[in-house]
Amino acid sequence: MKAERILNELVRGLPLRRAPAALEFRVRRELERRAARPWWFRGFSHWPPGARVSFVAVCIAIIGFTVGDGAWTMIERTLSDAAAVPLSWTHSTVAVIRSGCEVAGLLMRVIPATWIYGGLTAGVALYMTLFGLSAAAYRALYLQPSLAGDRQ
Amino acid sequence: MTFMRAYQDMVFSTAARLTGNDAQAEDIAQDVFLRAYEHFSHLRNSPTAGGWLKTVATNLTLNYLTRYRKRWRLFSELKEHAGEDSSGDPEIEWEVPDTLLADLDADQRRELIDGALRQLPPHQRVVVVLYHFEELSYQDIAIKLHVSLAKVKTDIRRARAALLPLLAAGGLERE
Repeated sequence: MKAERILNELVRGLPLRRAPAALEFRVRRELERRAARPWWFRGFSHWPPGARVSFVAVCIAIIGFTVGDGAWTMIERTLSDAAAVPLSWTHSTVAVIRSGCEVAGLLMRVIPATWIYGGLTAGVALYMTLFGLSAAAYRALYLQPSLAGDRQ
Repeated sequence: MTFMRAYQDMVFSTAARLTGNDAQAEDIAQDVFLRAYEHFSHLRNSPTAGGWLKTVATNLTLNYLTRYRKRWRLFSELKEHAGEDSSGDPEIEWEVPDTLLADLDADQRRELIDGALRQLPPHQRVVVVLYHFEELSYQDIAIKLHVSLAKVKTDIRRARAALLPLLAAGGLERE
């Protein structure tokens, strides 16, 4: 007989499992906990009408300000302020980056290539070792064994 | 709570068969009913409330299992070998009597089948439960699980091959 047919016959009319007695209590307790939360922790549809109206009014005001003349005035002011700021910090940053590149170039010329490749290999090996160890620790200590092989 | 009493066994059974773990199934069932209460005004007198709850229970359970799967996909699927696909192989014929588990009453049969399902690896248990208990097609299962049709067929075939000896052995033990 085909395995599929055998299983179909076996599971036909199988009774349901009885839910734990605690389930109903847990659901009721969670519903009570949610009901006891202040209104601002709940969804917008559960807010009091006054709060909803105020919120919408504030949003409309912000949108009006952003899209209207006020926003353009603010943008223009910001741009003109930014243009007035001296560029000394930009120069400093570029100088630091340039020095860093020069030092790196000098080191590349002085240190033998074998050392650099060796260092990189050691770094990768250390990274993989630590990654593997933490993965193994997570799997052994945290993950439930029944789900560890889940590959569907 | 009358609403919940009417459906809690169905919701819990669905989640428990898919997860193979009663504690997880209880958590999932709780989530299902909390969602149901958000739509209670529609569900209270709806003739499709049972179907809605079953669908939500199945989807939440699959989400739950997928969360764990994603964390471990890298490691667990390294073991997956290419060329393992056996979806095209013919279904195995089993030399089992027509009366397999016939001597057991429905509760004993259910207990035995649930016990055997728990022994399957999750990726096999999920597909076999979706196919035989939830009566989804291979195609629907593949879509639901975001895997290929061939993988679904292979997993179901292997699940059946693992399940039937367990059931036969369990049936003999009880006789």
